[in-house]
Amino acid sequence: MRRALLLAALGALALPAPALAHATLINTSPGFQQRVNASPRTVTLTFDQYVEKLPQTIRLYSTRGELPIPRIRDDGRSLVATVPHLKRGAYTIRWHAMSGDGHVVSGVFTFGVQTKAPPPTEAFGASGPTRTEDLVRWLYFLSLAVGVGGLGFRLLVARRRLPGRFFVLTGVGVVATLNVGIAAFLLRAEDALQLPFARLLYGDLSPMARTRFGTVFVAMTLGFSLVAALLFLAWLTDRDVFLWPAFVLGLLFVSGLSLSGHSAADAGSSWKSELADWAHLSAACLWIGGLIQLVVVVWPLLPELRRPALLAFSRLATVCVGVLLAAGVYLAILRLPQLDDLWTTAYGRVLLVKIGLVALALAWGGLHKLRAVPIVERGGTLPKLRASIAGESMVGMIVLLVAAILVNAKPPA
Amino acid sequence: MEPPAEHVHWLFATGFLLLGLCLLAEAVVGTEVWRRRAWRAYLWPGLAFALGVLMWPVMTFFTNSTLHMLAHGAWAEVLMAAGAVELALVRGKIRSPWWGLTMAAAFVVSGTAFLVHEQNAWFFQRSSFLHHLLGWTLLIAAVVPLARCVRPRSQIVATCFALTFIVGAVFLYCDRDVAPVFGHISPLAGPPHR
Repeated sequence: MRRALLLAALGALALPAPALAHATLINTSPGFQQRVNASPRTVTLTFDQYVEKLPQTIRLYSTRGELPIPRIRDDGRSLVATVPHLKRGAYTIRWHAMSGDGHVVSGVFTFGVQTKAPPPTEAFGASGPTRTEDLVRWLYFLSLAVGVGGLGFRLLVARRRLPGRFFVLTGVGVVATLNVGIAAFLLRAEDALQLPFARLLYGDLSPMARTRFGTVFVAMTLGFSLVAALLFLAWLTDRDVFLWPAFVLGLLFVSGLSLSGHSAADAGSSWKSELADWAHLSAACLWIGGLIQLVVVVWPLLPELRRPALLAFSRLATVCVGVLLAAGVYLAILRLPQLDDLWTTAYGRVLLVKIGLVALALAWGGLHKLRAVPIVERGGTLPKLRASIAGESMVGMIVLLVAAILVNAKPPA
Repeated sequence: MEPPAEHVHWLFATGFLLLGLCLLAEAVVGTEVWRRRAWRAYLWPGLAFALGVLMWPVMTFFTNSTLHMLAHGAWAEVLMAAGAVELALVRGKIRSPWWGLTMAAAFVVSGTAFLVHEQNAWFFQRSSFLHHLLGWTLLIAAVVPLARCVRPRSQIVATCFALTFIVGAVFLYCDRDVAPVFGHISPLAGPPHR
């Protein structure tokens, strides 16, 4: 029995037999998000291996609903659908096919006839961001604040070696950024593909990876994997030289959110709006991440650092709040040019809630700056200061939750 | 342009082969001799960590299915984690031998990812066979890092640990079809699929 198994294994390795993964879509005509000048006669999907067609293997949708496809044929590695004459507009193709390995592979892409095609995340049938995506976006903001803000605190405020808890906390932030990013990408893909989970596992995500959101996902994942590696090397070797590139890379890749969100994609967006959005987010990360480090690392573990850290953080927080407000006001005016948009639109109302919470956080921070900092500066102590700083950071986290809802909402046109 | 999946598999197979050969060399000559040059102690854990970092581009650029993306993401994380723990143990940043359980966990996660992402039966095709083989090899071989925690000086355990990587590398070399790179070499392979 043992010998037979060994022979079978060796045979399987030695014999030249096909070793296939499931079929991968390598080309489409029209292409992903391609704008064509005239109605195509056919829609062709070319795979890297033989596929078999299934019932309704290719479905065509205009912005109003499904259009009939008179004929679909499988031609070896291609599926070819003859399509009716298409008027000017955006179209969605949803496809599924039997792969050589017996699995049903699926996908979606869009194209436009004499018009710009929407990204696949706005394909016909996609419902847009859900409450789960709001939650995931919030976790993403929190992870960025803990990771990048933690690094900023270490380099700009503490400026000395911190205990292992700093690395644990910041490392958790960076690793969470990677994992929550993957979850966000998959949720967006699930909505675009409109597939149950079992079939989503074989869904083709490459059209999503080619959108602005997907490109940013790729860049941020690669960037934060490097940040994770640098952070680990800094801990391993006790050398600060790894922390600076980690911090700079982190700040740089935070811009991914600004380059894929409203500030980059909506009407009126420009490099100024992208820059403002990046400054807004970076300042928030430094502020909230710094507060968390003060509460979790400095206060319980380093009593001798409390005074200098609070004073230095107070200066940094003042700059952060200034940048946060300036960039926030600019972006609010850009997205809501009419004042009454603030209470007449859903986006405006969420923004009002955010402004209210930011005002609360600012008032709390102001109280620390005006009351607590002078006492600490004179060498005095405040018994409940740690709890108060924790309260301020909690409000900051709630602001991030509202910001996540705001980012996933659509500003008025 | 993405490189063919075959090249990526072979690149990682080469990485694991080097890693296994380093471990085998250490097992043969003994840890004391192996570590006479201090940098050698960091060689295989550093390689494991670097392979983990390099797995992230694979995850992000090969998005032809959710399953592949998740599997590659899991491998990237566990490779980085296992490499990082071994580096920290060598450096003396952590001391408990039970940290070696991270490697056992990495084997379990990696093996499970292989088995979950291959949903065909063993003999469906060569890649199915090898995915099952890799998955079960890693799951069973998770006992070896466990044994390393209990018997860190055992030469047999060290050799088994090294061989796990070498065998895994060989499986990984065989895992992909050669046709996309070298063409349809033999009629024994049936009709050309690519």
